[in-house]
Amino acid sequence: MSKRSKKPRNALMRAENRTAYLCLIPSIIGLIFLTYVPLLEVFGLSFFSWKGNGFKGFTFVGLQNYVKLLTTDPYFKTSVAVTLYYTFMAVIGSMIYSLIIALLLNRKIPARGFWRAIFYLPYLLPAVAVYLGWNWLYNINYGLFNFILNRVFGLPRVGFVNDAKLVAPSLALVSVWLAGNLIVIFLAGLQNVPKTYLEAAEVDGANSWQRFWHITVPCMSPIIFYNLLMALITNLQVITPALALTKGGPGSSSRFVSYVMYQYAFESRKFGYAAAVSVMLFILIGIFTVILFATSKSWMFSQGGDD
Amino acid sequence: MEKHASLANRKRRERVINSVCFLLVVFFSALCLLPIWWIFRSSVMSNNQLFANDVPFFPPDWLFSNYPRALQNFDFWTYLKNTMIIIVPSVIAGTVTAVLGGYAFARMRFKGKKFLFTLVIGSMFLPVMVTLIPLYIMWTNVFELNGTYWPLILPYFCGGGAFNIYLIRQFIMTIPRELDEAATIDGAGHFRILISIIMPAIKAAMIVVALLLFTQMWNDLIQQSLYIHDAKKYTIALGLSQFKGSLKQDYSAIMCATCMSFAPGIIFYLLGQKYFVEGIVLTGMKG
Repeated sequence: MSKRSKKPRNALMRAENRTAYLCLIPSIIGLIFLTYVPLLEVFGLSFFSWKGNGFKGFTFVGLQNYVKLLTTDPYFKTSVAVTLYYTFMAVIGSMIYSLIIALLLNRKIPARGFWRAIFYLPYLLPAVAVYLGWNWLYNINYGLFNFILNRVFGLPRVGFVNDAKLVAPSLALVSVWLAGNLIVIFLAGLQNVPKTYLEAAEVDGANSWQRFWHITVPCMSPIIFYNLLMALITNLQVITPALALTKGGPGSSSRFVSYVMYQYAFESRKFGYAAAVSVMLFILIGIFTVILFATSKSWMFSQGGDD
Repeated sequence: MEKHASLANRKRRERVINSVCFLLVVFFSALCLLPIWWIFRSSVMSNNQLFANDVPFFPPDWLFSNYPRALQNFDFWTYLKNTMIIIVPSVIAGTVTAVLGGYAFARMRFKGKKFLFTLVIGSMFLPVMVTLIPLYIMWTNVFELNGTYWPLILPYFCGGGAFNIYLIRQFIMTIPRELDEAATIDGAGHFRILISIIMPAIKAAMIVVALLLFTQMWNDLIQQSLYIHDAKKYTIALGLSQFKGSLKQDYSAIMCATCMSFAPGIIFYLLGQKYFVEGIVLTGMKG
């Protein structure tokens, strides 16, 4: 009896196996050849010196690329500092901004869809156009921001992207402006906060701040975690503003790690050395990812866990 | 009696808070639009007006003739066509392969499912910049496709991105299994179920994925600059960078070009907006 019923089941499962792999062929090819193999290759390449001319001229140099990078390289150490500085401001700024906007948009206000579209709008503009536009907004004499500072508030003019001290914060402000996707994800999370919890707390006499802090925030913590992680990963590998606008300047004050890698690979054609920069970037992002995951247990609330 | 009063009180307070929130929303959206306004306002002013000392907030006269003038040097339509040649097949292929992958993970049992799914999730955290060099070497030295659009398009035929697969999977998992089972009893195979039951039900998620893929390519500069060198093949991003370099001080023309390249993304969003927010909300974004 059991034998007979098992046979067709096995055949069915084999068929399902086959169909599943058929569906997954594109993804598997992508995962192998566009993600994990290149990751191994970049590690391998970082131990070589290679000028990028054909497959000859690979010279094994061991850890020499890393030693050079960490000791005599004129750009690498500042690029890490600049990237961390930029990321810190961009992540904090865009998280606070997008959470506030999402909280506001989550209230009963007229024409919500329209306002939501406005905040999402910057994210839909091509990055090059955005940085070209903002470069003009930051113009010292004729830009919007100096118009506001100087004309409206009577403050002295500021160089923004042309000022070595201000270029990273100025670019971080652009990234805050572009945070429309974070707003949409926060909004989705807010709409999934169980209304029954909020109502129960209201009946118990909790004021709106208490309700926000003790119900909304814990329920939102997985989404805060996700947004924080993605914002960190995206901003730590920042390159477009340097490529489109600042070319790393003034001086090296916007020479991000990715841009250093880009310059070594595609301008100096030192591919092995640039691969070592890539690996360092990978490690840098890895450190932050691990820290975030490790600490998340202490502040992330999981539903069904402790209630 | 007292309870009624406090309820009315609370309702009134709620209304006040909502109005304050509304005012804040209007204020913040004005701030958010201000940069776009300034760029647009600059595109309809002459260079003399732009570099005048009084810096007007409103354009003195609306010089829409700047646009045809900018178009003489900024080949917008060619760039748009080239961008679409890359984006349209990539968006379609990326969405289809993400749906296939998401469907397999959501509905089928197979060997190595857990392992493969871990690989997918893991690749979500892998920074794309790290694999830039090996992929460049692969496309340039192994396949010798540098100079064509293939290195920009082909990756989207390979899974459409981990996040998108995950999104589709989450979405399919919200559809009751009974629907598939009923169809199985009626003799429908997996692909029939996918096309006739699953895909109509996840239309919103598919549009979200399409929009995410669109913005991803729309915002790309680095990949395009690595693989496209011929000015005839330039995309909007490359055309703009090069246009800026060629016209150092003609800011009214540069702002015209900037405004033109703002338009397609806005149109695409308006077309899909209804589905877009619905899709993200329904997915829940929870593990």
